[in-house]
Amino acid sequence: MKFAIPVMLAVLPLAAQEIKMPVSLDRLAAKASEVVDVSLDGALLQLASRFLSEKDPDEAHVKRLVGGLKGVYVKSFEFEDRDQYKESDVEELRTQLKAPGWARIVSSRSKRNGDNADIYLKTDAGQISGLAIIVTDPRELTIVNIVGSIRPEDIRDLGGHFGIPKIDINPGKNDKKDKEDNR
Amino acid sequence: MPGQAVGTESEVDNPEPRTFASVLRAQQSMVFSIAYHFLRDRSAAEEVAQDVFLQLHRRFDELKSDQHISFWLRKVASHRSIDYVRKQKSQAAVGLDSVPMPSVDGEPEDHFLNRRLQSLIGSLPEKPRMVMILRYQEDLMPEEIASVMEMPVRTVKSHLQRSLAMLREKIDRSMGDVR
Amino acid sequence: MDDFEKQLKDALTKKDPSPFFEARVLGAVKRQALEHRASSRMWWASAFAAVLLVITGSAWQHERTIREEAAGKDAKARLELALKITSVKLQRISRKVEGI
Repeated sequence: MKFAIPVMLAVLPLAAQEIKMPVSLDRLAAKASEVVDVSLDGALLQLASRFLSEKDPDEAHVKRLVGGLKGVYVKSFEFEDRDQYKESDVEELRTQLKAPGWARIVSSRSKRNGDNADIYLKTDAGQISGLAIIVTDPRELTIVNIVGSIRPEDIRDLGGHFGIPKIDINPGKNDKKDKEDNR
Repeated sequence: MPGQAVGTESEVDNPEPRTFASVLRAQQSMVFSIAYHFLRDRSAAEEVAQDVFLQLHRRFDELKSDQHISFWLRKVASHRSIDYVRKQKSQAAVGLDSVPMPSVDGEPEDHFLNRRLQSLIGSLPEKPRMVMILRYQEDLMPEEIASVMEMPVRTVKSHLQRSLAMLREKIDRSMGDVR
Repeated sequence: MDDFEKQLKDALTKKDPSPFFEARVLGAVKRQALEHRASSRMWWASAFAAVLLVITGSAWQHERTIREEAAGKDAKARLELALKITSVKLQRISRKVEGI
């Protein structure tokens, strides 16, 4: 399945803006057992890119992906105990993602185990200019914001390369689909 | 002695160590005269000659023999004299007042004919003028003149031929007028 | 050489410069040598300063290169981590969506 890019009828000519991470998230770090906080602006991305080898196929691929990006921001919290954060902590973020240009392209909800995920894409004159992902479950909160031109499948398909694990939640059932999706 | 050309005698006969001062003393007349006959102005000629010797001093260690020094001095004196005239010409375009008029020297030994010839030589274009000076002041052969002036031998010969013909004609005419 | 050419030689006899010419030249040569020594000292001082600048500049550049390399490798590691997290999340989401 390819992530569908919705057609925007009215797109304001706004440059891709990074999402402002809510300040309230900072206090979650104190409660979390694991925290990942990555903030790479354009300059840092360029610096990192210089250390990606052209000779290594995986690194060369990532180098090309990163070439069109202006920022990569990831905040991820894992908690020992459930419900260490509130939906209101994330609501400010969701409000920002309702701004013109942003569109939610995937929304996944699981009442059974509380796993929820939303993927947002920002487009600018028909071109992707941003990606945002919010993943929540009772013991985890992950927010990803990528500024620049990138398709979700480009990052998804890094699985199995560049030291990124390839997730196979339903072994066997999705083998054929994986082969079709692999580019 | 001033005026005596160094290089015409073997260095065995001149055991004196070659110093800048000794070369200056031996060669100053030659250098000055090239500039003087070309520029027809004593002070300008001394200015050019001084520049030539200052340049010689800077390069003195590179010049290995008396003959090399003589050749080098003639070459630099010739080129510097021509450069001087060209510089004067370009300044003349700005203001004629700044151009020094050729002095009419009262050299006692110069007879009328000599002065007339000097004046006529001075009226030649630059390169033929210098060719004539190197030929008749320095007794250089056309091949040597070609080396000093950095021009083809046939050009030197052509300059000599035409200049001689022109000078002869003018002298004949002026002597005819006098008579 | 004919008579006319002999006459030319006579007209172009070497002449002596003024009596003070030699002294003037030697004086100018002395001044030139002094100026050369002064500028030579200046030259050596400048050359020394330039070499010193190159050495300190090189040391600084080397240190800067090491720092930059460390920063670059750190940025690369963080990029890898960010992409890993993002990819894993997207894979999970994708499989959830495809699994329906």
